[in-house]
Amino acid sequence: MKTVIDAHNISKVYNKDKIPVYAINNVHLHIELGEFTALVGPSGSGKTTLLNLIGGLDTPDAGKIEINGTDITALRSNELIDFRLKNIGFVFQSFNLIPVLTAEENVAFIMELQGMSKAERQNRIKTLFGQIGLEDKLNSRPSQLSGGQQQRVAVARALASKPQFVLADEPTANLDTASANKLMDIMALLNKEEQMTFIFSTHDPRVIERARRVITLVDGSIVSDTAQVNIYSTNGHEK
Amino acid sequence: MRSLVIMLSVAIGLFAGIMVLAIYKGVMRSRIKTVIYAETGHIQIHDTSFKKDYEPGFTIRNGVSIVNEIQKYPEIKTVATRTITMGMLSTTTGSSGIQINGVIPEQEHLASQLNQKINEGAGFNPNKHHEVLIGKKLAKKMKLQMGSKLVLTCTDSSNNIIASAFRVAAIYESDNAPLDEKNVYIRQTELNEMLGIGKEFHEIVVLLHKDEALEQVEKKLKDQYPNYLTENWKIISPETDLMVGTVDITSYIIMAIILFALAFGIINTMLMGILERTKEIGMMMALGMNRLKLFILVLMETFFLTITGAPIGLFISWGVTGYYNTHGINWSSRGKEMMSSFGFNTTIYPEFPDEKIMMTLFFVVLTAMLSCIYPAMKALKLKPVDALRK
Ligand SMILES: Nc1ncnc2c1ncn2[C@@H]1O[C@H](COP(=O)(O)OP(=O)(O)OP(=O)(O)O)[C@@H](O)[C@H]1O
Ligand SMILES: [Mg+2]
Repeated sequence: MKTVIDAHNISKVYNKDKIPVYAINNVHLHIELGEFTALVGPSGSGKTTLLNLIGGLDTPDAGKIEINGTDITALRSNELIDFRLKNIGFVFQSFNLIPVLTAEENVAFIMELQGMSKAERQNRIKTLFGQIGLEDKLNSRPSQLSGGQQQRVAVARALASKPQFVLADEPTANLDTASANKLMDIMALLNKEEQMTFIFSTHDPRVIERARRVITLVDGSIVSDTAQVNIYSTNGHEK
Repeated sequence: MRSLVIMLSVAIGLFAGIMVLAIYKGVMRSRIKTVIYAETGHIQIHDTSFKKDYEPGFTIRNGVSIVNEIQKYPEIKTVATRTITMGMLSTTTGSSGIQINGVIPEQEHLASQLNQKINEGAGFNPNKHHEVLIGKKLAKKMKLQMGSKLVLTCTDSSNNIIASAFRVAAIYESDNAPLDEKNVYIRQTELNEMLGIGKEFHEIVVLLHKDEALEQVEKKLKDQYPNYLTENWKIISPETDLMVGTVDITSYIIMAIILFALAFGIINTMLMGILERTKEIGMMMALGMNRLKLFILVLMETFFLTITGAPIGLFISWGVTGYYNTHGINWSSRGKEMMSSFGFNTTIYPEFPDEKIMMTLFFVVLTAMLSCIYPAMKALKLKPVDALRK
């Protein structure tokens, strides 16, 4: 299998001058292409911090993070922004979409930033909105969509730029069970159809059971890392 | 909402700027009109030496034939003659230095609208003699009323002191109070008698049909009468020309203040906008929008708002100036005294300053663009992680 993320000995310390907080403490992380991995752990255990580090939004105080062989800790801030644009998809917990843009525009703009041609963009939008089941909501604004629909558009946007992997920080935290399930279905589908690597943090047991690998963080350290059978991907519970 | 505020600030800024220019333009235009039509006329002819000392002897030689000649010019509307001397007005209580204007009432009415300025009284009565018209300010200062008796004193052409008694036949008030304090009008025949200069006079006032013909007629007169002093109103009333310049500077200062206020408003609104959209901006940066593009985005936003706000401001100011250009803004309720003591009309007819629109527009847009740079820089300093955490 192809390695997408390779993180060695990474640490992130907050509050260095006073009482230091080891948000991430000497973590090793190895993610391969096509993984569907959940990052779990109690509140304050460092899930968001770890995702930010491997997503290049934050820089570690120690250690090295390689993405597809590129050491992102060595990149300058502008290079890092560009690297994120080309390689990493993000789904945030909330406030994912730009309120003044339509669903379609929210997805299109990232491809525009990447310099994709118009034909290619339209093609991709058609495919993605089909996959998230929102073909009829292309022209809706975020305020006209439900929370679950908004998150689905955010997933579509994360995949629009054909990144190496998608990071999702508690993507279902604000959703009801049905919407959360639907979103997980879509992510699982994209994982299968597009061979897209997903890493998501969550507290939600219903989400955890969908993952094929579960990494547990406590106080900034990985305390367990287990593979599990994804019941849904074997019995075809999709859509 | 925020966009509306910026759009409106631009519109209001532009509107205010244009109104200031329009009012100034209107004031200047009316000041020039007053100067020409109520004071100096377009062109005046004198003997070359007359204005040095106002010696009664320096009358216009062959004045009558010159008047007859130039009255035939098609560009000329009216010609009036004046006998002028410096003198003193005395009453039982005091005296004041004045300029005595000997006029032919019918001509003077046409040349400087003397009858229209009359406040009290009927003016010259053909059946009476030794009547004088005095300005309101002088009347107040000398405590004179309609029918009051006064004595005018001056020196004649042979340097004898001459005094003669007159009765106030009317009190006039023009837009130029300082002039009202200095000028009195009597019949030309009576002043000529006092000065002993027969049928001669010192000044020919020429009023044209069109302001544009000024230079052409001036040149024609200079060529035809090279031995006389021919001057246009700009030379005769240099303070008016100077005032046009001063007012220009003042209007630029006011413009600068307006632009400053505009900049302040925009910086504030944009900063608030950025604060409000911290998450949005943080997210876009997280997704990979680089700083340059973000900067351009903020600039573009302001630019578009400015571009939409500007025509609104232009249109409103065009409408408002158009309306007041015909109806006039009346200042007489306040500041009438002030306006007229500077020689301004009390009703202002603002005029759309076409020639300065491009410049105003340019500065308003430039100010708007410059004032969004600071907020844009602020946006660039956001760190996506911090922005998203909030
Ligand atoms: N900007 C910061 N400044 C100081 N401390 C921080 C900062 N961000 C995070 N921390 C600390 O780092 C630790 C890990 O935080 P993190 O947000 O990664 O936890 P988490 O697992 O995502 O929690 P949750 O489940 O509540 O989202 C916490 O103790 C937190 O207080
Ligand atoms: Mg978190």
